[in-house]
Amino acid sequence: MAEILDETIEASEDTQKGKFLTFSIGKEAYGIEIKFVTEIIGIQEITEVPELPDYVKGIINLRGKIIPVIDVRLRFRKELKQYNDRTCIVVINIKETTVGLIVDNVAEVINIDDSNIVPPPQIKAGFHNRYVRGIGKVGNEVKLLLDCDKLLNDEELDSLNTIEDIKY
Amino acid sequence: MEGLFLKKVLITDDAAFMRFSLKTMLERNGFEIVGEAENGAIAAEKYKILKPDIVTLDITMPVMDGLQALKQIKAIDKSAKVIMISAMGQEGIVREAIISGATGFIVKPFKEETILKVFEKL
Amino acid sequence: MPEDGVVREPMLEIYLFEATQLMEQLEEISIECEKNRKISTEAINEIFRIMHTIKSSSAMMMFNNIAVLAHSLEDLFYFIRESKAINIDFEKLFDLVLLGIDFIKGEVSKIENDCDADGLSEPLVLKSSNLLQDMKKANGVIIKDDCQAKKEDTKYYISSYEKLGSEIKQKYLARIFYEDGCEMENVRAYTVVHNLKEIASEMYHIPEDIIESDDSVETIRRDGFLIGFSTLTSKEKVEEQLNEIVFLKELELKQVEEYPLELKVLKAKIEINLEKAISEESVFEKRSDKLDINKEEVANIIKSGKQQSIISVNISKLDMLLDLVGEIVISEAMVTKNPDLEGMTLDNFNKASRQLRKLTNELQDVVMSIRMVPVSMTFHKMNRIVRDMSKKLNKEVELVIIGEDTEVDKNIIDHISDPLMHLVRNSLDHGLEDKEERIAASKPPMGKITLEAKNAGGDVFIIVSDDGRGLDRGKIYEKAKLQGLVTKPEGELTDKEIFSCILLPGFSTNESVTEFSGRGVGMDVVKKNIDSIGGAISIESLMGRGSTISIKIPLTLAIIDGLEVAVGTSKYTIPITSIRESFKPKENDVIADSEGNEMIMIRGQAYAIHRLHRIFNIDTEVTSSNKGIMVMVEDNTKVACLFVDSLIGEQQVVVKALPTYIKKAKGIAGCTILGDGNISLIIDVSGILDR
Repeated sequence: MAEILDETIEASEDTQKGKFLTFSIGKEAYGIEIKFVTEIIGIQEITEVPELPDYVKGIINLRGKIIPVIDVRLRFRKELKQYNDRTCIVVINIKETTVGLIVDNVAEVINIDDSNIVPPPQIKAGFHNRYVRGIGKVGNEVKLLLDCDKLLNDEELDSLNTIEDIKY
Repeated sequence: MEGLFLKKVLITDDAAFMRFSLKTMLERNGFEIVGEAENGAIAAEKYKILKPDIVTLDITMPVMDGLQALKQIKAIDKSAKVIMISAMGQEGIVREAIISGATGFIVKPFKEETILKVFEKL
Repeated sequence: MPEDGVVREPMLEIYLFEATQLMEQLEEISIECEKNRKISTEAINEIFRIMHTIKSSSAMMMFNNIAVLAHSLEDLFYFIRESKAINIDFEKLFDLVLLGIDFIKGEVSKIENDCDADGLSEPLVLKSSNLLQDMKKANGVIIKDDCQAKKEDTKYYISSYEKLGSEIKQKYLARIFYEDGCEMENVRAYTVVHNLKEIASEMYHIPEDIIESDDSVETIRRDGFLIGFSTLTSKEKVEEQLNEIVFLKELELKQVEEYPLELKVLKAKIEINLEKAISEESVFEKRSDKLDINKEEVANIIKSGKQQSIISVNISKLDMLLDLVGEIVISEAMVTKNPDLEGMTLDNFNKASRQLRKLTNELQDVVMSIRMVPVSMTFHKMNRIVRDMSKKLNKEVELVIIGEDTEVDKNIIDHISDPLMHLVRNSLDHGLEDKEERIAASKPPMGKITLEAKNAGGDVFIIVSDDGRGLDRGKIYEKAKLQGLVTKPEGELTDKEIFSCILLPGFSTNESVTEFSGRGVGMDVVKKNIDSIGGAISIESLMGRGSTISIKIPLTLAIIDGLEVAVGTSKYTIPITSIRESFKPKENDVIADSEGNEMIMIRGQAYAIHRLHRIFNIDTEVTSSNKGIMVMVEDNTKVACLFVDSLIGEQQVVVKALPTYIKKAKGIAGCTILGDGNISLIIDVSGILDR
């Protein structure tokens, strides 16, 4: 897995368009653009930080750098699953923010042409639709392509971040 | 003297900004900056040690100004190539410098093309 | 330097840095000169040089409004220098200079914030030139024309070997056009003449006067520089030499039999003068030896003392260095305290690891010292404020600075400047009485504000004190009560507690809003600023005598001594400087009040208990008081006890900020990576006690 990822990351910016890293949460398959992914690591010890939303599990030590980790299941309001040795943390970096996404397992890196991507249907209920920017067709399967920016920077998240000063 | 090696330059100016600007422009165009000096005295000292191909001297500097430094450097090395960096209104001093053996001069504020025109001929 | 990670073009970065530095230097010199009512030669030269540098750099960066202003101020000081003027209106002069400094600082600030430097400097430039006129009149001095003594009579150059008789010399006529924008064409023409001297036996040129006249520049630009000369050198060589001219746009060179009329006229003029000159025994060839214009500058002033060996280093490099050193400290612990080594006899290893520890400690000290900067710059900035305000308020005030060499982390310096300004302003505005009141109170008419910095243990103290009227305890209590900021009766509160009410937001006893300090808006902002760097403020005062505000700030934010504690499976670090003591409590010592707030009695005093596991919602089995440990901690005003599971040990930790994505909870100051790779959260004692 690491080798595939390395190869694709070494490719130039241009050829990364349309390359997605796919992973699964429960029965659903998701994809995120490879250009945001810096590395994939196995699940490791997470230090809890008080007073954070439930899906922000805490922080981890990544070779000396402290990064926050989000449990994607909880972000999508699904049931929490016990972490096992297949659980991975996908480290992404957008606009100077580095965050780790905890996912059930990582599948592969695939090319999805723009022509095979359609916008998400508006009707489907599910909460996590706000983070899906498109639906990619790969053979017979369908991958939900995530909008990383939204995933990290939803307004809901922002309001939780501002903890007001307690008056005394 | 065309050579395989980059021409070595010593930059003298009490203003860090000016040194930086000149250094950036020259390095972009294939010159090697071997040293910087904040005043004429330091320039003369460094000239002895570094033996650059070209020296630039600002005129107004503390401790020892450009004109004095020019003379010192010329005393060390008759054939030294020295470019004076002057400001408008310093015509008199620039003339003195020419008499004292300055190779040429540039007037502030200058652009990259201007610098090059002078340096190409050295 | 940008703090938010915005990267500016390096050239702009250097420009802004240098401009700021120079303005601060200039301000200091100006205030000093104004105070002493005299300007030394050194000062004039320095001021001139600063203006000269700002002029050039600003022009290079196309900030023309600044360049023009700097130019006009440069002219002012050029006059003062050259004319050795003695009739100087110091107040007017330095008022202008200080206004100029303010303008430039303002523009620099705009640029730093990515706005346009769109200020208009014309009014100041006008003021400056008017002042120059006045000064000229006041000093009735005509600037001596030194140039005449020094100039070389190039106009009348005739080579000495003319006398040897004419061999086959060829006359040439050259017209030189220079490229637009090369400037000082007259001097360039002079250079040509100077260089041709070596090969030419006679030279006549138009324009004639390329030394004195500025008009010649226009003429050369319009008609080119015309030279007639004769030489033995071959045409090819002559052409080659002339083509070497820098900024040459166009060269017309031709061999001639005779010079054109206009040059012939010159020749005739010269020959007449030549005869006259020879007969008068004027010395042609002798160069003027008075070339040492700046001899006085060179003579004594190799100021080796003043010029320190300093290099400027990019802050981000220092941050990286400090980070790395921090990592080394952790790695060193991971090696020497490795569980693999448990139980082994390792005499040589231990010896070596002790040496390693010693070296890492030294390395740490050195790196931290690099980031340390003396507070003097910040303190000296206050001079300006005192000067301006005391003038406006018509109060005589003296600013005394003690311990300015005390060093503080660079990060911190940036944060104390504003708070200090507020405090100094407050003292001046509200603390110090005006002259009459002071005399009536048998105080010296001149008020005194003291700025002191000193080291004490792991902290730096910055103290601002004045000998003014002091704080009115009663009034403050009343106001605080009115605003609902206190509930206890006055008698139960100490002076310190009452005085610290003025740090609360929304508090003010000022009857009038003044231009400077507003309605007490400053003090709570001051507290916020100080809190943000982990510092504390305490206020002392004596009615009628004055007030003293002490700011305690940690020496560095980067590495602290901490006590590791366990709460459930989590590890927390409590800064040692906040810890008074720790102990195992007995069940009966803990009592609760009617609202369920827990307290513990120690030596007759009651202290509030903060259970970390409850505050941070941590699962732990240690809930009954006698199974855990109490750590008594204090911040600026409060003392309380933290209840934790157990103590792990003392450790030096490298403070790392929590990722910005996570806004920290109140009570968490940051985090650190322990020797085993785990993360420990660092407790912000103030934050916990405030809950």
